[in-house]
Amino acid sequence: MNQIKPALRLSGTEAYNHDEAKGFLMIGERTNVAGSPQFAKLVRANDLEAAIEVARQQVANGANVIDICFDDGLIDGKAMMAKYLDLLQGEPDVARVPIMVDSSKWEILEEGLKHLQGKGIVNSISLKEGEEIFKKNAKHIMKYGAAVVVMAFDEKGQAATYDEKIRICERAYRILVDEVGFNQNDIIFDPNILTVATGIEEHNNYAIDFINATRWIKENLPGAKISGGVSNISFSFRGNNKVREAMHSAFLYHAIQAGMDMGIVNAGMLEVYDEIPKDLLECVEDVLLNRRDDSTDRLLDLAESYKGVSGKKVEEDLSWREQPVEKRLEYALLKGIDRFIDEDTEDARVKYGRPLKVIEGPLMDGMGVVGDLFGAGKMFLPQVVKSARVMKKAVAWLFPYMEAEKAENLAGDIEAIQAKNPGMSFDDALKVAERGNSAGRFLIATVKGDVHDIGKNIVGVVLSCNGFEVTDMGVMVSCDKILDRAIELGADVIGLSGLITPSLDEMVHVAKEMERRGFTVPLLIGGATTSAAHTAIKIAEHYSGPVVHVLDASRSVPVTTSLLSKDGRDEFVRELREKQRISRENFLGGPKKETLTLEQARAAGPKYDWDAYTPPVPSFTGTRTLEPAINELVPYIDWTPFFHAWELRGVWDREKKELKTKNEGGAAEAKKLYAEACEYLEKLVTEKRLQARGIYGFFPANADGDDIIVWNEDGTERTRFHTLRQQLKKTSGKPNVALSDWLAAEKKDYIGGFVVGIHGADEYAKELDAANDPYGSIMVKAIADRLAEACAEMLHHKARIEWGYEAEGELTKDALIHENYQGIRPAPGYPAQPDHTEKPILFDLLAATDATGVYLTESCAMHPGAAVSGIYFSHPESHYFALSELQKDQIEDYAKRKGMTLAEAEKWLGPWLGY
Amino acid sequence: MAQEDFTAELESELEQRIMVLDGAMGTTIRSYGLDETAARGDRYANNEKDLLNNGDILSITQPQVIADIHKRFYEAGSDICETNTFSATGIAQSEFFVEDPREKGGRKDPEFFQKILENDFLNELAWEMNVKGSQLARKMADDIGTDTGVKRYVAGAIGPLTVSLSNSPDAEDASFRVVTFDQVLEAYRKQVRGLIEGGCDILMIETIFDSLNAKAAAVAVREIFDEDNVSLPVIISAAVGLGGETMISAQKVGALWNAFAHSKPLAIGLNCSLGPDLMRPFLEELSEVSGTYISAYPNAGLPNPLAPTGFDLEPLHMKEYMKEFAQSGLLNFAGGCCGNTPEHVRAIAEGVRGVAPRKVPR
Repeated sequence: MNQIKPALRLSGTEAYNHDEAKGFLMIGERTNVAGSPQFAKLVRANDLEAAIEVARQQVANGANVIDICFDDGLIDGKAMMAKYLDLLQGEPDVARVPIMVDSSKWEILEEGLKHLQGKGIVNSISLKEGEEIFKKNAKHIMKYGAAVVVMAFDEKGQAATYDEKIRICERAYRILVDEVGFNQNDIIFDPNILTVATGIEEHNNYAIDFINATRWIKENLPGAKISGGVSNISFSFRGNNKVREAMHSAFLYHAIQAGMDMGIVNAGMLEVYDEIPKDLLECVEDVLLNRRDDSTDRLLDLAESYKGVSGKKVEEDLSWREQPVEKRLEYALLKGIDRFIDEDTEDARVKYGRPLKVIEGPLMDGMGVVGDLFGAGKMFLPQVVKSARVMKKAVAWLFPYMEAEKAENLAGDIEAIQAKNPGMSFDDALKVAERGNSAGRFLIATVKGDVHDIGKNIVGVVLSCNGFEVTDMGVMVSCDKILDRAIELGADVIGLSGLITPSLDEMVHVAKEMERRGFTVPLLIGGATTSAAHTAIKIAEHYSGPVVHVLDASRSVPVTTSLLSKDGRDEFVRELREKQRISRENFLGGPKKETLTLEQARAAGPKYDWDAYTPPVPSFTGTRTLEPAINELVPYIDWTPFFHAWELRGVWDREKKELKTKNEGGAAEAKKLYAEACEYLEKLVTEKRLQARGIYGFFPANADGDDIIVWNEDGTERTRFHTLRQQLKKTSGKPNVALSDWLAAEKKDYIGGFVVGIHGADEYAKELDAANDPYGSIMVKAIADRLAEACAEMLHHKARIEWGYEAEGELTKDALIHENYQGIRPAPGYPAQPDHTEKPILFDLLAATDATGVYLTESCAMHPGAAVSGIYFSHPESHYFALSELQKDQIEDYAKRKGMTLAEAEKWLGPWLGY
Repeated sequence: MAQEDFTAELESELEQRIMVLDGAMGTTIRSYGLDETAARGDRYANNEKDLLNNGDILSITQPQVIADIHKRFYEAGSDICETNTFSATGIAQSEFFVEDPREKGGRKDPEFFQKILENDFLNELAWEMNVKGSQLARKMADDIGTDTGVKRYVAGAIGPLTVSLSNSPDAEDASFRVVTFDQVLEAYRKQVRGLIEGGCDILMIETIFDSLNAKAAAVAVREIFDEDNVSLPVIISAAVGLGGETMISAQKVGALWNAFAHSKPLAIGLNCSLGPDLMRPFLEELSEVSGTYISAYPNAGLPNPLAPTGFDLEPLHMKEYMKEFAQSGLLNFAGGCCGNTPEHVRAIAEGVRGVAPRKVPR
């Protein structure tokens, strides 16, 4: 059974479990006004943005927990604690880690607890004011759920000596564990790290006392942890960072060995113990370990020589700053870093010429990536919001430039508007012109009957950050109020939100009302129960303006931007309407198309001059088997569908070996994938993991109506294929074809057939699955599928040559892949003959299972999966086509020809039936 | 009337078998085809705003419907039904009874919600919803428990509210919150008292999308227990997104457990937001780290507005998924959230019957 080890379990948005194996827990001290004068200055000046950046750096430098303290006479500690912690919740990188709420005032500590969603640490409580207050505070902490730092303090004051330290800690421990019921793993003692080398003799043993007390507590008070403010130890050397850092690091080295679990340190600025210069280390350790009477003096002397030597510099990874501006903007948006956003935005503005181009270009692309990651569950809402806030800064930088541009354009625009609308006053024309230049006014509301607010608020924030003027009407807003307000505001877009199913109907109602009242502005639909399909099918049809479903807050920006973009709008709306049309058709089965009776369809079949045509004669009849080596098949591989299997759209260019696609990332991905596929292929070939087996053959055959009769040598009927005829009425004048049209009825003609299979792939894929390599497994299957197709292509190539109507080498491999040749090889189960039950006829005719090992399952699927079969037609007019909307008269006729019941035929042809 | 603490009794039952929760209240109510007039009843006939989607008010205006839903779930095999009190707080109810200041360009802020907390009508309404809602489930639990000889329990549902303590709706100020912790705490305190008054056996802080809201609820529970000298088992259940994070405050499940372990919940688990397939990895993660029982009541798939029930999965599907969860040793409580009808719960109960419950790692 799973065991849960005892540990100090903390959390921010992520869990942090500190057990013996974790080593030293670093508590970042720079967000403590007492620990960092610089931070205190920022907070006093209310520069919270910079103050937040300090927290971010502490985490980036490896702090596992950050200590936050506002105990400063010039700061309202309680209010600032609340505000700062609320701000941190909006910083996903920082919100990740647990928070240590630090104050000497209980009311500030409790306020801190009210702003932590995770489990933090309270720093600190003590017995200073007696047992009753100590117990009361501990109980409060338990109510919120936090670990606690207990200072070695009692009614008499601070514990300085070893004996005092352990006596007070033991007393506090017993009260917490035995009387209050505090989790012993959540108790952290701070036995007071006091300053050494002060010149006062009693202070000389302070470090040792701390270390020994630590050892005693760890041995005697189960579960308890030890922490301390490390920089206190070196306070006598302030101004001499080199010495201080050496002291901190040497002190920690010894204290950690004694069992110290964590300390408040300047994360990122700890000197490595082994790198402390030898002479310095010796002097430092003499002081800390109280080894010599003159150790303080010796260290003071040596310290002189290190004065002015700078300590370890905090290092920050800024390699992303070397990227091109687009990538820098993307990085800033993704990570929510606004420190460089002004300069990067400016670089982009210079590069792109116009501020709007920056927004619609790199910034929107960046938000697109954010949207993708959110959609994939790899980014969370607070991160999306943070990205939007960075976006806001970029937009703010661009704003004056847009204003200037606007002013430049305005005069011209007003003139143009007045020219278009003679009689319009200057003021009205000015208004219209201004509107034309605004990013857009967005009216958003949760519909009547629905109280869900928060998701909509986030959409509002994200849009505001992108420069839209957002008016949020709140929740439960009735249709008429929304529309009245939209008119009043001159809203450019209306967004409706809803989370419960009944809201869907209300959204339909709003769409109808918008139509009735003559609105034309776009309508956006969002919320958990909404969907693109529902929007297309149920809402969009009621309103002639664009109706767009928005998946989530991150998507609202690109959609709104497109809808309001002068250049992009028409294209966006056209694409939207097309998608929605297809969605509706798929749902409703499309508009009913006109069809022909079977008799009419046959009459509309192709008319060929059979007298003037002599069908080609194959060089042999009967069957031949073939077991080509895998590397023979490689040149025949059509890679394009391979990439489709990996969701990469585009066309593979065989020459350049690249995927032709609009998506640059996709092309790069395809290149990688292709290289990997080639490696797999090579491995498959050398390890002989796959075998290709195929059979093909030719037989005398003739059309008999829509059937194809295959003859024995003696002229008796050997078997019969059944084909189906297109029944859609064609306006193009093209014939209604069936496969049998491409065989002569009354003169000698031939049909061919083939089956190929790639063996070994399924087994190999299974092995890879078992070895936890799903990627390899998919790769092998995808390659095997391509090899099966390649084998079919090679066989067909061979067959056409042997049929005598194609010369060897007449066509390039590329032409082969693009099927620029005469004749077709349709397979049962595909669009030209969707009935899978024609497969057994083909298999029997070829005796294919014995020859190739490919067999048919009950549902007529081929096994192994990487297999292809089909019938060869040689007629020059033969081509691939699709059947649809088959009518009952044909199915009845077909069932009779096949000797099936109507129900059976309908079962196999279900999706192709048009009745 | 203070309730007895059945923690020990439940724990001994949970060592033997997987206990069955109920299905969806909201989406099941909708299948009764009530209209606005029915939802309002005589008492709220003149209310300015629509009440049809105020499910909790039906405990007052259409109690027979709520009782019938509880009855159907208990009959389908639920050991525990949740009360119809998901939004029975003054804060949540204010949405249906007080004009939204944003309609006229104002905003919701702590000042607005202070008035809400001092609004007698809302306070009395919330109290009545909690007491009546609990009593409706209590009666059905006792009746069916007596009839069948299998004891049934009532879990008081404490929902997430329509406000967030972790998110700022102000684009200009990331530190802005519409409501304070103390205000949320106060609203939850009233709810907890009402639920206990109505006779709940268990309290369920559920559909947590903001862990700080839930923390306020947990503090409220602790305070009322201490003040009124009561103790009931508590279940904590979060609604997580595609990455396994509480939807609004983005807390991962391991972090959630750490944040709530101190309250010694009877169970911690996941519900709503995802279907069972997408929920599974996060449930597994939670099951690995949590030193208490695990509950799961996923939605019947993701919402699909074009499906007749609004959700894709049918009883058979839910049965298969939950059975697999159980067989993988992930479950102590199984049920369904949005889209799960009594038929779904019957199927879930069948699926987990006889499968050994998850052993709590200690």
